[in-house]
Amino acid sequence: MPAQPTAAPTHKPDAGEAPFAANAIRLSPREWLVVLAIVAPLMGLVPILWERAETFAPGDNCRIPFELSSDYWVFTRMARRAAARDQTLLLGDSVFWGRYVTRDRTLAAQLNRLCGKARFANLGVNGMHPAALAGLLEHYGKAIARRRVLLHFNLLWMSSERHDLRQKKEFRFNHPALVPQFVPHIPCYRASCADRIGLVIERNLPFAAWTRHLRVACFAETDVPTWTLDHPYANPLRQISLAVPAAAPRPLDDQRPWTARGIARQNFPWVPLDSSLQWRLLHRCIATLQRRGNRVFVLVGPFNEHLLAPSSLAAYRDRKRRVVAWLQQHNIPHLAPPPLPSRLYADASHPVAEGYVALARQLLHDDAFARFTGDRARVTAPRPR
Amino acid sequence: MLFHTWTFAAFFLVAYPAYLALKGTRLRLPWLLLCSYVFYGWWNYRYLLLIAFTTSVDYLVVLGMARSRRKKPWLCASLLANLSVLGFFKYGDFVVNSLNALLAWLGAPYAIASPGTLLPAGFPYLLPVGISFFVFQSMSYTIDFYRGRIEQEPSFVRYATFVSLFPQLVAGPIERASHLLPQLRRTPRVTAADAADGLSLFVVGLFKKLVLADTLALYVDKVYAVPGQHQAPALLLATLAFAWQIYFDFSGYTDMARGVGRLLGIRLMLNFRNPYLATSLSDFWRRWHISLSTWFRDYVYIPLGGNRKGPARTYANMVLTMLVSGLWHGAAWHFVAWGGIHAAGRVVTRRLEGTAFYRERLPRCVKQALVFAFVSFAWIFFRAHTLADAWLIVTRILAGSLADPACPLLALGLVAAVWAYQFLYESRLRRLLEPAPVRIAFVIGMILYIAIVPTSGAKPFIYFQF
Repeated sequence: MPAQPTAAPTHKPDAGEAPFAANAIRLSPREWLVVLAIVAPLMGLVPILWERAETFAPGDNCRIPFELSSDYWVFTRMARRAAARDQTLLLGDSVFWGRYVTRDRTLAAQLNRLCGKARFANLGVNGMHPAALAGLLEHYGKAIARRRVLLHFNLLWMSSERHDLRQKKEFRFNHPALVPQFVPHIPCYRASCADRIGLVIERNLPFAAWTRHLRVACFAETDVPTWTLDHPYANPLRQISLAVPAAAPRPLDDQRPWTARGIARQNFPWVPLDSSLQWRLLHRCIATLQRRGNRVFVLVGPFNEHLLAPSSLAAYRDRKRRVVAWLQQHNIPHLAPPPLPSRLYADASHPVAEGYVALARQLLHDDAFARFTGDRARVTAPRPR
Repeated sequence: MLFHTWTFAAFFLVAYPAYLALKGTRLRLPWLLLCSYVFYGWWNYRYLLLIAFTTSVDYLVVLGMARSRRKKPWLCASLLANLSVLGFFKYGDFVVNSLNALLAWLGAPYAIASPGTLLPAGFPYLLPVGISFFVFQSMSYTIDFYRGRIEQEPSFVRYATFVSLFPQLVAGPIERASHLLPQLRRTPRVTAADAADGLSLFVVGLFKKLVLADTLALYVDKVYAVPGQHQAPALLLATLAFAWQIYFDFSGYTDMARGVGRLLGIRLMLNFRNPYLATSLSDFWRRWHISLSTWFRDYVYIPLGGNRKGPARTYANMVLTMLVSGLWHGAAWHFVAWGGIHAAGRVVTRRLEGTAFYRERLPRCVKQALVFAFVSFAWIFFRAHTLADAWLIVTRILAGSLADPACPLLALGLVAAVWAYQFLYESRLRRLLEPAPVRIAFVIGMILYIAIVPTSGAKPFIYFQF
């Protein structure tokens, strides 16, 4: 005869009551309190202890390894470290991150080289459009409060309805975990309600950010069960190391200028500034930073105007002019540098290594930027022509 | 809405405090009904009409029966209405496609249109989630009243709550009116022990679903998607993995449903009792999807004559019941084949199970292994996309060609751990699992594993399609 299921000893079933379960896992209210008393502190402590145990050497210039672009826990660590060193933090997309250059040739690295000191930290993240940056700052950027922030605005994010996240057709964009999940509505974002709520919770739970860190840093951005499909006989525990992976020594992409890479002239269908979602969310980024006492300097560009067809160029310049007017109107220090020489661009917005040198010089010779940095970053290098 | 999603968590965070706050008021049951309709309507609000239809028909039929001397026409009306709804939405396409295939084979120059064309514009022709569950639950009420086993339920709201109670609405357990309606009449009380029990059940169910079922599903899906590209070891392991996947998936759902029910102060029936420790096929069906097995026993097998009309009729009744059970699971021939295999197994082993040799001399673990092997074999027909795929898998397993199965050791390790737990639980060593520190350690382990390791993205329950 098969064994009849009975309840665990903590409860006696009522007469005629259905069996509780076919296992012994039944806790009383008091035992649940014990579970809560153990699990809650554990979940709070693990990320803190892990951060202490895990080695992390981003160098003076910083730069998040490409593979960890969606590891916001590492971003928080890097931000905290840079803030502690009182560095000026460069926040933006892959233009600041340095898509076509190595870690020591990014804008932050060139600024540091020209200043002779590690005053600037590269907190750029690959693919970090303004809508995502707003979420990154809001939820993972608290450590940088009251610090100087050089914020990048890349007008490329307004170059089409698709880039502006306003197209109705579904579109898989970068960093969906950071964009507003409910308001404002992003038409091309089709995550389920459950996923959206999950992401909102993840942003507010350090433990959830830490589990994302494990997935991204140790399991190639996937979950453990899926990882075991590709590594069926491997021990997942061996994947977990107490060191943040280092950045690859080589640049991500071909470093040649855009003209040598066969990129044709573009006729971008720019979105109007007034209805641009990315522009609206850049406002939110600035507001978040100002609310936290940050000193903000906005760098508009450098955009590759040489790549634009004439009609598109006119529309671009109109938007750039209006962006600058808005920044002036709100007394936000900024620089909208003239375009770099054509050969210094690798594509529509990313400079090649020499382009970053020229851009760094433009910044360091700008009076507003000097005031922003407290004149500490003045250099005697020749003025850019 | 799935129990293991944040949507459900948000829904429950609104529904539950209000439910508790309405203690002692007349609004508690209407609130539960409203929550149940929101829960179901979240999937597709249009299909709430179906639940409302089934509920209204059976409520009115029983009202009519209670006031009439002739009950049979009322019962027939209820069965006709319920089975028509089920037939149209669940089996319509299957029947039409089968007929069209037959017409094409006969060379007929026309084809029958999809039943979906009969629906009004804007009403998508979908298989309504959980239709087989709520229709069966509602039908049991009219049949039991017809048999004089229960009283008429005077309150429409209470009856509607019984049919649509959200914890068990979409995948059971298929409750009987005699068990659930009295609980709703008393207006459920929620004690601290109920809350603790509910949480215990829910965490175990969540672990079964998110950790065990979904981990195994990855390998099963990979192999069963293209069975022709895999050799015997992979197909065999994927089949065994599916046996456990479907158990963890469905029993996980049931545990969560019972847990949520218990949090509401409602006791839902046990639906699974370690079925892979069964020592015979009849024992398996006493342990697997108990609420459905007993439904078919009470409303199909026994009305057909059960075992009261001689051996031939008994076997015929068993076969028919199993075939209908197969068809209940899905409108496809491979589900019928699955039912047929189980029917054949029951016919062949019925006498054997009664022999002294089987009962006393065959070691228990051998019997368990035999039953598990047979049930797993039948699952091939359940899981395969088509009968042809199922046959391909069977022949490839039998051919025995060897190749690296690339089955994750993690998945196998999890299954081995759970199997060992079940063996221990049903053995004399069960006392080792019962001390409080052991139970607490298990729960903490499960919570941390759920928080750190599981697959990303909520996968629906297998039984939602039924």
